[in-house]
Amino acid sequence: MKINYIGKCLLIENAGKRILVIGDLHLGYGESLRESGVFMPGDLYSDIVKEMDNVFGVVEKVDEVVLLGDLKHEFGKIMRSEWKEVSDFLDYLNEKLNGDGKENVKMSRKIIIVKGNHDVITGIVTAKKGIEVVDYYIMDGVAFVHGDKDFAEIYDKKVKYWIMGHGHPAVRISDGVKEEKYKCFLVGKWKGKEIVVVPSFFSVNEGSDPRDFDLGLAWNFDLSKFNVVVVGEEKLSVLDFGKLGKIK
Amino acid sequence: MDNGKPNRNKIRIDGKNGAMNEKNNLNENKSNPGNKNGLEYIDACSQEEVIGIMHPLVKEWFFGKFKDLSLTQLYGVKRIWDRKNILISAPTGGTKTLTAFLAILNYLVGLAVKDELENKIYCVYSSPLKALSNDIFVNLVKPLEEIKAIADSRGIKMQEIRVGLRTGDTTVYERAKMAKKVPHIFVTTPESLSITLTSPKFVENLRAVEFVIVDEIHAMANKRGVYLSLSLERLHEESLIEPVRIGLSATVAPIEEIARFLVGFNDGKDRGCLIAQVPLVKKVEIDLITPAEDILEAEDPENQKRLYKILDALIQENRTTLIFTNTRAATERVVHHLDLHFPDKYADLIGTHHSSMSKEKRFEIEEKLRNGELRVVVSSTSLELGIDIGSIDLVVLLRSPKGVARALQRIGRAGHMLHANPKGKFVVLDRDDLVECGVLMKDMIEKKIDDVSIPNNCLDVLAQQIYGMAISKIWNAEDMLKAIRRSYCYHNLSKEDFYDIVSYLAGDYALEQSYVYAKIWYDKESGQIGKRGKMARVIYMTNIGTIPEEGFISVELIAPAEKKGSGIGKIDEGFLERLKKGDIFVLGGKKYQFMYTRGMKAYVRGDVSRSPTVPSWFSEMLPLGFDVALDIARFRGLVKERMRNKGDCVNFIKDYLYVDSLAAENIYRYFKEQGRFSEIPDNRTMVVEKFKQDKEYLLFHSMFGRRVNDALARAYAYVAAKLRMRDVEMGINDNGFYLAGESLDETKILKAVSADKLEEVLKLAIEKTDVLKRRFRHCASRGLMILRSYKGRTKSVGKQQVHSHFLFHAVKKISEEFPILREARREVLEDVMDVKRAKNILKEIEDGRMKVKVIHVPLVSPFGLNLFVQGHADFIRIEDRIKFLKRMHELQMKVIGE
Repeated sequence: MKINYIGKCLLIENAGKRILVIGDLHLGYGESLRESGVFMPGDLYSDIVKEMDNVFGVVEKVDEVVLLGDLKHEFGKIMRSEWKEVSDFLDYLNEKLNGDGKENVKMSRKIIIVKGNHDVITGIVTAKKGIEVVDYYIMDGVAFVHGDKDFAEIYDKKVKYWIMGHGHPAVRISDGVKEEKYKCFLVGKWKGKEIVVVPSFFSVNEGSDPRDFDLGLAWNFDLSKFNVVVVGEEKLSVLDFGKLGKIK
Repeated sequence: MDNGKPNRNKIRIDGKNGAMNEKNNLNENKSNPGNKNGLEYIDACSQEEVIGIMHPLVKEWFFGKFKDLSLTQLYGVKRIWDRKNILISAPTGGTKTLTAFLAILNYLVGLAVKDELENKIYCVYSSPLKALSNDIFVNLVKPLEEIKAIADSRGIKMQEIRVGLRTGDTTVYERAKMAKKVPHIFVTTPESLSITLTSPKFVENLRAVEFVIVDEIHAMANKRGVYLSLSLERLHEESLIEPVRIGLSATVAPIEEIARFLVGFNDGKDRGCLIAQVPLVKKVEIDLITPAEDILEAEDPENQKRLYKILDALIQENRTTLIFTNTRAATERVVHHLDLHFPDKYADLIGTHHSSMSKEKRFEIEEKLRNGELRVVVSSTSLELGIDIGSIDLVVLLRSPKGVARALQRIGRAGHMLHANPKGKFVVLDRDDLVECGVLMKDMIEKKIDDVSIPNNCLDVLAQQIYGMAISKIWNAEDMLKAIRRSYCYHNLSKEDFYDIVSYLAGDYALEQSYVYAKIWYDKESGQIGKRGKMARVIYMTNIGTIPEEGFISVELIAPAEKKGSGIGKIDEGFLERLKKGDIFVLGGKKYQFMYTRGMKAYVRGDVSRSPTVPSWFSEMLPLGFDVALDIARFRGLVKERMRNKGDCVNFIKDYLYVDSLAAENIYRYFKEQGRFSEIPDNRTMVVEKFKQDKEYLLFHSMFGRRVNDALARAYAYVAAKLRMRDVEMGINDNGFYLAGESLDETKILKAVSADKLEEVLKLAIEKTDVLKRRFRHCASRGLMILRSYKGRTKSVGKQQVHSHFLFHAVKKISEEFPILREARREVLEDVMDVKRAKNILKEIEDGRMKVKVIHVPLVSPFGLNLFVQGHADFIRIEDRIKFLKRMHELQMKVIGE
């Protein structure tokens, strides 16, 4: 089992499989803003695709893609652009995984969508592609969950790792005068499990620093003891800043 | 027409020593008499001339109430009757509003008696105050009732003359009533006026408006005024006849610019305007009080008792006292401390009045004032404008009002009754305040009014108005541009700017999403512009306006642990932006340390013992104007030349500033300390002090007013940051600015900023600052990029803030020259800062008229102390995110390694 940090994503090498993990995407956010009367120019979706292209550019072969939930932004309704963006994004992933093979049947084995709190009705869109939205996904000792809910199954002894999204973790870094915020992974241990909280993939904002704001995760992690792996914003690099509790 | 200049000898503002300076040079170039590009200064008419035009009924009514026509009325009434555009500038406490209405009432009564009154609006009256009903009752409704009663008693038949009031508070029912029974005089605010202009039905009533009155025009030298100027052109466009424009103003300068602003241009040509500068006939007594033998002692909060004793004595000596502070926080503090030092004495006799109080609360205080139920009212700026507040005996100015016009305006609130003399007292709080108030008082006595400036070509306001215009009808784009250019504020608007805004509103920048966003359509072939969408009018009505919404941030404790989570009050957003982590500030009399924010909440620690690092009034502080600042610098120079002989010097200060010995001694001592420690900066020498504390500091004693200092500070900070590729902190106040960084090379920094490159440097310098982001939010809201209210939902300020943050970055990706972004930059450079004057200062430095003298000092000098303790205002961010991250990572690795 090896965890590689690829920018905002994880590449997990486990039992001969290469699994790409993508955090919260919140597709359709731009339109949701426009719907509320905000003139949001530009195209957030194509920015996401551009970033994904970079990721696929370095990971070579991928056997599976796990989406950690909150694929779309709106809770209860589906907007035109959300439908299109979710559908386009799944096609995009499929193409990356399977080349031009447009066989929907096989796809379901390759793309796994873990259900997020925003994904109340995401299943309706993904069903069209033959992809199921699951509460959690366990694969050779690694459990993938969104992070807002707990499940008895993930406490199984065979499960060594919990990988989750939902919290949009980020960290404020300051030299006493200047302060900037960066997306980050939080990596630590809890009740014998190795935990990785993955940052959100969508680029509209950085996320929340757990020192300022409760991330809303379903467990009582002592995050100050978690390692902060900062997304370097350059060539998909990451920088380990040590324990959160020790960052000033 | 006698065009002799107004007789200034009638102006009797006396200082403490009763002195009146005859050498009044500044006034001469400010008010050239005679005709000048369509502007003409006029003198008062005689009583007979004015009486000669009065309708018998109006005459009988008027002289049944007043003995004589007031001077303002002698200036204005006949000219309005003659249908001349006129700007009437008179000190407050005058009879301006009635002056404007008298001629119009006279005309309407004449028509009403002849049964010739039509169903149309004859007169539009615009005031920036929403709370108009009382004034309108006094100046319009009551006179009309009384005239009607006289007519009835004489058996004269007369049509009813109707007055309609429409503000943001007018109910749908009232509006509907007004639509049925057209008012003859339509009273409104700038915002409501532009809404009525989009209503096709109501516009029919505006087809033949004969008079437009713009009240309080001196308070419109801002985006709200810009907005009004366009609404007036829209009104003009709808009206088949050209309405006479009447502007009512307090003392203001430059008066000619205000006159042009009032009347606008007719296709490039000045529309012409009479200027009536009504002199003040009342004697104003002003005076300055230094609260302690040694003013330094008074600065100590423990010694505040003395200040409140002085206030108490002043209140006791007078029947009604109005105290002006500059900020909401200070207003609350004064009331609180008066109560603390004099328990129960003022319980029901004191009132507070400031703009963040509820409407009802403010009405209540105004009503009590009129009824004489209060001994003292403490206000920030909200009582400056002309709401009738009855008679005030004394106005106390606590801290410098920062400008001569404002000081006059405030003191003018005293003696509102026709024959009482206004009385005003400056009470100074520290040594900078003492010098500043002294110079302000001198300028007041010598009638040197500081200039206001009116913003030009504001693209956000333009976007709002184009939308409004498109809602009322389909336009030919070129005709629309022509109408817009009639406004003084847009008369040199470029074609490119105009079409950029049209294209933004038409959704061109939103790419394929334009269908969601476009507000107007523009057909390039036919050149036509029209509105888009059925909701256009609703969107317009619920989102217009130019006053930015400022949010209040709740402050919550995170420590000590037992109080975690408890709320302790609110601070305004502007103040929050000044805070950096670890700063100590005061709220509600207690000290807190700022830790971080989250949405609309700020988290603080309560367990602090260190002194405050940021004064709580900072963000609300009124900026000191350029003219007064220069007068202070000049005064510094004059004192500096006379320092050697103490007696002569103190006498000079006394004579020059019209102050007493105590004040003069304090000023002398202050200057002496500065001279000994470093050097006294003046109008020919900008002293730059270099010292080292936690960092290296360069403190510039630039006495050019806040807006110029702001520009210079950011330019110097930017080049300093650029030299070392590190962020530089800066602090700015009215008296100067400082830079702070790890290492500052003053020779290089001073050389790197030049007059011809200033604008270029500043454009780069502001790009990553908080002030640009904040102004962008205001502009995005004004320019309708963020609709505050949409589909029945209203966005909180917090939400607007979050949205504007995304927008700022998204817009920059689309185009660095996006028009609303450009407007935010213009606002920062021209309205927040004063690039033009900053450039002139740099020119003076370059050609040697002003010297820059660098002095090494061990620590901050007396003149720099206030600036230094106030803390930083902003950063120049130069180091990019990735580099910063790497540097911090290396640091962090060292920490971990240890």
